Amino acid sequence: MDILVSSLFAGLLIGMVLAMVALGLTIIFGVMEIVNFAHGEFLMVGMYTGLLTAQATGMEPLLTLPVAAAAGFLLGIICYFGFVKFVIRGPMVAQLLGTFGLMIFLRNLALLFFGAEDRAIHQGILVGKSFNIGMGVIAPATKLAAAALSVIAFWAVWLVINRTKIGKALTATSLNPQGARYMGISTERMNALAWGIGGGTVTIAGALLVNFWSVNPFIGLLFTMIAFAIVALGGFGSVSGAFFAGLAVGVITEIPGIWDFLTYIFNFGWMADVPMTSLKYMWVYLAYFVIMIVRPRGLFGWKR
Amino acid sequence: MEALSSALDFSDFPRLDMIIAGVLGGLLVIFPATPHSAFAMATMIQFLMFSLYGMGWNTIGGYGGQVDLGKAQYVGIGAFTTAVLMVRWDVPFWVSMPIGVCFAVIWSFIIGYPLFRLKGHYFAIATIATSLVLKDIFEVWDFVGAACGIEISPIKYNPPDFLHLIFKEDIYYYYVILGFFFLGILYVNWFRKSRLGFQLRSIKDNEEVAKSLGINVHWAKIKTYAIATSFVSVVGSFHACYIKNIEPEDTMSLDISILIALMAMLGGAGSLWGPIIGAGVLIPLKSYLKEWLGARAGLIGIDLIVYGAIIMLVSAVEPRGIWGIVEKVRRRKRN
Repeated sequence: MDILVSSLFAGLLIGMVLAMVALGLTIIFGVMEIVNFAHGEFLMVGMYTGLLTAQATGMEPLLTLPVAAAAGFLLGIICYFGFVKFVIRGPMVAQLLGTFGLMIFLRNLALLFFGAEDRAIHQGILVGKSFNIGMGVIAPATKLAAAALSVIAFWAVWLVINRTKIGKALTATSLNPQGARYMGISTERMNALAWGIGGGTVTIAGALLVNFWSVNPFIGLLFTMIAFAIVALGGFGSVSGAFFAGLAVGVITEIPGIWDFLTYIFNFGWMADVPMTSLKYMWVYLAYFVIMIVRPRGLFGWKR
Repeated sequence: MEALSSALDFSDFPRLDMIIAGVLGGLLVIFPATPHSAFAMATMIQFLMFSLYGMGWNTIGGYGGQVDLGKAQYVGIGAFTTAVLMVRWDVPFWVSMPIGVCFAVIWSFIIGYPLFRLKGHYFAIATIATSLVLKDIFEVWDFVGAACGIEISPIKYNPPDFLHLIFKEDIYYYYVILGFFFLGILYVNWFRKSRLGFQLRSIKDNEEVAKSLGINVHWAKIKTYAIATSFVSVVGSFHACYIKNIEPEDTMSLDISILIALMAMLGGAGSLWGPIIGAGVLIPLKSYLKEWLGARAGLIGIDLIVYGAIIMLVSAVEPRGIWGIVEKVRRRKRN
């Protein structure tokens, strides 16, 4: 029983961070219907920003969030005006492959500058500490802090989108770009803002993630696919959907632990032979596929 | 017979194109007789393989407009079928290749049926997801060698072995794949003028209208997907015999899928020559960039930075590819 509870708990914790990862993707898709393959690479940029800032200045890694957010916001804006703006006029193939080119570009730029090795943070007051919550659940302090800060940041973005004037303009553009333009909302500015917010939120998630996840230049694709699965489950373009879908996908990534529990309960020999840990992320891809087939709108989606 | 004459009939192209194509085809045939480095030979074989992949992708992605980013899974199915059959039961290439095609087509029906209910972005990402699922399964499946992959040991055979396609010199491989290459061109030339080809183009233009004209849209897409799949699977089988050491990571990774789609797009999707032009530009560029910038200058990854920048540039400036530019120039000249 302990293993089940602690798997579910770990899944929910990581799910809160993953929701933050997917938030930017769903905002960008909602506003301009473009799929950003470089999303995971933005995350990688956030992870490296957090790591290098913390190592260079020696400050607490969790306090690097503003630096990472600023870097991500700038990166998003630069990508929009330097590249995406020209691609959205073209056919869909060009959009897909174009952002894929951006992904290869950023990934190998990181490889050139930082090298291929894994890097991790070994400093900070939270590293190495953990809490025993009971029922066999031991939560590392870094994960708890990252999850809590993710939820706060997610809530802040939600407030900006739903309660401020500029957020309403953003929503208006995603609902009906032409109508929004008649109301005097510049589509171009809103698109740029969506890319800025998208980049900023995902780099925040990266700076949180790097506290307990080592970073290398190739880490992006995995998180891109996870973010796609979350966005598909939550509904393309839905912000609140992304949060609950993030929790669900977080639990899906903990399927190996749940499998261990089932093996223990049913005690079939073949169940122990399945190399579940290596198949950890296959379930995420499979979940994406099944969601798209069964319910393409997602749980909270309004866009199709 | 009628199909054959249709496949051999290139008369709807301008005469200039046919002369250029003929000269280039002749150059391809005599290429091994000219002095060349081993590296150039390997690059040429890569070029021919990727043009065939691109031609396969072009049937569904170019003529049909369905952006498929999961072709690498069929490279994997073809390659692993041939390799496993050859290592375990000593089955010749010419037997294992059709078996691989069968497996690939069956798999394409299984996933194609639900996949083609999706459109646009949703379809593209779902193809990636299926490809990654299959790759993950192959990486833990002991029967096909798990993550280490499987190795065809050439010692058992007596090269040149035309049955098992085990050769010492690359020149044999070159002519085998060149044969497939010409067959592929003829097939696509027939395909684009066939009933299915016209149905597909009408689906690309407007799916609702195509449906109202009585075309079974779903079934036409699935059939074409199977055709594209068999192309890729055949070359995958060849890849296994040529490389001899295959792993899920380098036969089934997303990069391969993207490269396949990219070549067709760079050359011009939806045209007969597009994928070949794309492969002819991209493959030498990629391997020589890697050789000069990556290996010699010691800058890891710089070849791929340039490559990524090229992708971004093409998609931003001319998404219809090189063939699109040619047609634009021609249209302007005519007016």
